[in-house]
Amino acid sequence: MKLTRRALAPALLGMTLKGAPRIEGGFALENVEQGHLLRDRARLMVPRESERVPVVIVGGGVAGLSAAWWLDRRGFKDFVLLEMENGAGGNARSGENEVSAYPWAAHYVPVPDPEAVLVRELFTELGVLRDGVWDERWLCHSPKERLFIHGRWEEGVEPHSALTGEELRQMERFAHRMEEFRATGRFTVPMERGLAKSTEAERALDRMTMGQWMEREGLTSVPVRWLADYSTRDDYGTRVDDISAWAGVHYFAGRQPEEKGPLTWPEGNAWVTKRLSEKLRTRIRTNAMVFRVERAGARWQVFTEGRRYEADCVIWAAPTWLASWVVEPAPPRWPMDTAPWLVSNLTLERWPANKGYPECWDNVIYRSPSLGYVIATHQNVARHQEKTVWTHYWALADGRGADQRRILLGGDWNYWSERVLTDLERAHPDIRQCVSRIDMHRIAHAMPRPAPGMIFDERRRARLRPKDGFAYANCDLSALSLFEEAQYRGVEAAKYAMGQVGRGR
Amino acid sequence: MVYVLFLSVFLIAACGLIYELIAGALASYLLGDSVLQFSTIIGTYLFAMGVGSWLSKFITRALVSRFISIELMAGLVGGFSSTILFLAFTYASGFRFLLYGLVLVIGILVGLEIPLLMRILRERFDLRELVANVLTLDYLGALGASLLFPLLLVPKLGLVRSALLFGLINAGVALWSTFIFKAHLGNLVAQRTASFAVVGLLLAGMVWAGDITDTADAALYSDDVIFARSTPYQRMVVTRWKEDYRLYLNGHLQFSSRDEYRYHESLVHPGMASLPGAKRALVLGGGDGMAVRELLKYPGLESITLVDLDPEMTKEFAVHPLLKSLNAGALTDKRVKVINGDAFPWLEATDEIFDFVVVDFPDPNNYSLGKLYTSAFYRLLRQHLSARGLVAVQSTSPMFARQSYWCIVETMKAGGFEVYPYHTYVPSFGEWGFVLGSQHKWKPPETLPDGLRFLNVETMRSLFDFPPDLGPVEVEVNRLNDQVLVRYYDKEWREITR
Repeated sequence: MKLTRRALAPALLGMTLKGAPRIEGGFALENVEQGHLLRDRARLMVPRESERVPVVIVGGGVAGLSAAWWLDRRGFKDFVLLEMENGAGGNARSGENEVSAYPWAAHYVPVPDPEAVLVRELFTELGVLRDGVWDERWLCHSPKERLFIHGRWEEGVEPHSALTGEELRQMERFAHRMEEFRATGRFTVPMERGLAKSTEAERALDRMTMGQWMEREGLTSVPVRWLADYSTRDDYGTRVDDISAWAGVHYFAGRQPEEKGPLTWPEGNAWVTKRLSEKLRTRIRTNAMVFRVERAGARWQVFTEGRRYEADCVIWAAPTWLASWVVEPAPPRWPMDTAPWLVSNLTLERWPANKGYPECWDNVIYRSPSLGYVIATHQNVARHQEKTVWTHYWALADGRGADQRRILLGGDWNYWSERVLTDLERAHPDIRQCVSRIDMHRIAHAMPRPAPGMIFDERRRARLRPKDGFAYANCDLSALSLFEEAQYRGVEAAKYAMGQVGRGR
Repeated sequence: MVYVLFLSVFLIAACGLIYELIAGALASYLLGDSVLQFSTIIGTYLFAMGVGSWLSKFITRALVSRFISIELMAGLVGGFSSTILFLAFTYASGFRFLLYGLVLVIGILVGLEIPLLMRILRERFDLRELVANVLTLDYLGALGASLLFPLLLVPKLGLVRSALLFGLINAGVALWSTFIFKAHLGNLVAQRTASFAVVGLLLAGMVWAGDITDTADAALYSDDVIFARSTPYQRMVVTRWKEDYRLYLNGHLQFSSRDEYRYHESLVHPGMASLPGAKRALVLGGGDGMAVRELLKYPGLESITLVDLDPEMTKEFAVHPLLKSLNAGALTDKRVKVINGDAFPWLEATDEIFDFVVVDFPDPNNYSLGKLYTSAFYRLLRQHLSARGLVAVQSTSPMFARQSYWCIVETMKAGGFEVYPYHTYVPSFGEWGFVLGSQHKWKPPETLPDGLRFLNVETMRSLFDFPPDLGPVEVEVNRLNDQVLVRYYDKEWREITR
């Protein structure tokens, strides 16, 4: 260690020199260039080989895998799934180091209610649900969530201590109003089920922002606004003043879990997608970027650089907006913006000092621009854990997605790791002494952002109706970036495809 | 000028007494028996002061310079005395040797001060006045210090910072003496630099003092501490009072050697004695080897596996002469295999099957420990039991933590066990609870091994009766995703502790 004069003074006073250790790391899973080939309509090699497959699934995220899972379960094996990355999983991919596996994005599935039959079917198959009982190993362990507020950690994510009487009343009124929305049965997962029963009240909600709705309800105090804003950033990567109030309400009113959850794993939802990919591996083609899909007679031609597929039916499980760049004839532009995210996995050689409530699965810092962090090792049953991995989530939620993407991709690793550390330093002043690695994933289009009007928008609803053997399946059709929505859309598309192919024969 | 000199006398007298009081107080905190400690410390200290006074006659030249050096040394040694003693107590052996050594050194230095100062002042006053004034102020300083010490210093500053503060005063006297006696000093610069250095060191000590007292938690124990060690997992302290040895982990009492046989006989024998064909036993937790000692009373057992998190714990209880005498050398028996591992993941990874499992974890006072009391854990445990196998679980006090106790019972039920709750009176713990888990209908054994001090067949049956105030209460099951037990436990123990 080099001793400078500035460092010498405290050394003489007997204080230790605590130079922060060097932190390693970099960006993972970056595939921006390849994606932009599509945007720029680059000339790609026209393949020589061709293959006749009744059903082609484009995109291997949860929607595509679920479509494949459903077909496979019903005994329909004549399909391929084309994934442009080197592994399926999409937003539910994961990484692993010597300390722990960790998620690269989606990291939990809420415990489904009794009506969510598809999710229950899947988890029964995976052994998570047995005879109506959820295996507690996969349910989020205690203690679940905490909030850093007033200089210490407190139990739960909702601010509840040191509120004024008025602030407290607004928090209660907010909770009460959400309970009322839930009771209408019109906010459901999958959302289509409840949406079908919508009245003018729900349409009106969709016409305003969540911020406007709260203003109208007199919910204007800082804690309740923070809670709503935190939630819309968390589920939609969007600020409370930019999001459809219908979507904002859905976050709180959409589910009625039957068990203390959610379901979660160290590697996040990759635990599920890995099992699905393994089961379907003979039908998954990775490193297969689809660059053109065109109608040819009664069939579809699907082009990858290696091979051309002739299909009766295409399930488009890639992001819906991408279709306008790939499919011929090009569908009209998709109206929904997307939110960029930064996901950072921090490897900690030791645990930072803790003040207040103990370390939880979900750890949120009050009034921070980030969404806080999730402890990837939380589901580890060991009593003593020396090292750990934390997954820090940051939705770049201000303003337009395109502007935020420029900021996200403009910052290098030094810039972003510094921002993440500074954010964590609010709650953990000694974090720099603990972290040895920061691996980051910049997700340019992480999730749909339902602006006002999007839920009842005719352009959205038009995509829900499959046509001529082409079915959209991505969860952005629901405007909700949720596992259950992706699965539902995937399965709906698979049902359509099976009907089409069956009819054709 | 004159007043400043007399103020010096007053201050160094106060410093001298403070060091003595600190040594006495520390010794009685850490070693107990305050009458003995104070008497011997005061005696040693006064004797050392006598030695110092006698030695003063050998100092013939450069009196002022010597005086300043002595002040600095007294400030340094006295100022850091309680720091050194606390740390030595925690991390080193030979505490008593160091204690009396320090008292001797400080006493000698303090004993040198007044004779030297009187000789320095001799030229300015006549002897009659000098002796009267110096001794008056000396005793006044002592009075001030002895009042200040219990009323202000100990409660507000604590022992470590008080000593450092008075070390600073000693060093301060040295420092201002370099100004007052400027003319008498040949090596002014050196003396002044040394004074600043000592002041700097003591100030740094003040900054650090918080850390020092945190680690030196030994002051908590009123009995003689005979063994203390910090491992990556916990802090182990063994205390002794007469023939009673006690083990504390992180400040929580684990056993008292006077009555632990009641606890360990109850934990092991009701289950074990009912399994005549048992060949393989497992102990989870219980790194002190006491449960293993009881298991070794069954010649039919072919192997005993002990899984404990902390290698230091199992090592010390295998090799330390006193500690291994407490478990009768159980951990070095050739039938015993010691594994240092985390119980839950270890059980998940192993495919071994056992006939009898003793679960002896610390009480569920946090979420990490709480995992070891969940239905998921008991379900996993059941998969490692042979068809007739049994498990005995230490399960906190049904008296002080009644909900917690019955929560463990209910959770074992949810984990698939038939449960047989029982309890024992252990004087150092109070009323203590256990649960026996079986996979079939179970009856208490008709015979017990020889050589038990507490259990016989009749008393054993009575352990399964619960008086109304210990009886079952309505509780939820403790599960990984909803650890109610930690909340029950926290609430219940908070109600009865101050």
